[in-house]
Amino acid sequence: MGQISDADRETIQNLFAESLTGDVEIVMFTERESLIIIPGKEPCEMCAQTQELLEEVASLSEKVTLTVHELSSAREQAFALGISRVPAFVFEGAARGRVRFFGIPAGYEFSALIGDLIDTSTGTTDLSAETRDFLSTLTEDINIKVFTTPT
Amino acid sequence: MAVESEHVTADVIEAMEFPDLSQRYGVRGVPKIVINETTEFVGALPEAEYLAYVQKAVEGSQ
Repeated sequence: MGQISDADRETIQNLFAESLTGDVEIVMFTERESLIIIPGKEPCEMCAQTQELLEEVASLSEKVTLTVHELSSAREQAFALGISRVPAFVFEGAARGRVRFFGIPAGYEFSALIGDLIDTSTGTTDLSAETRDFLSTLTEDINIKVFTTPT
Repeated sequence: MAVESEHVTADVIEAMEFPDLSQRYGVRGVPKIVINETTEFVGALPEAEYLAYVQKAVEGSQ
């Protein structure tokens, strides 16, 4: 049994076929399970599940690929993307800015993931003209954090 | 917004998995949005209201 139900898999596959225009690479950072217990260091409970979920998403379109990095051996790349926690992933495609996901994108977050992946593929959104006008005037960087829970 | 502007970075954070961040940003309800560490609100807002908060955060930092 996968992370995505058969019905959802079919819906997403069709949605991807209709909507994806450009390639999207999902770049994930993870931590493999260690047999050594390091005092004070929590194991990454959701890393394996997140990777499995992203593998399933990537399998639903040939335009979507997944690259997985071990955080400990890809520190420089992670640092450049502002990632120091796992599981985390970003989309590389036609987006001008960057969306980073931290933690397993289950529940409500999963639909945000699918929507953001499509937007990253097309490089466009359905934002209003007013919002786009404002964004075009930006000269300084903005960070927006959105805290969610799986339910 | 992060798709439309190279100046925007958006972080989607699973609050239960990162309790230290949730505590630091005082997350009691979700979705909680924090813009530039200064401006925050809870709940899904219509786009125009969301934009108003982003504008407020940008004006506040100038």
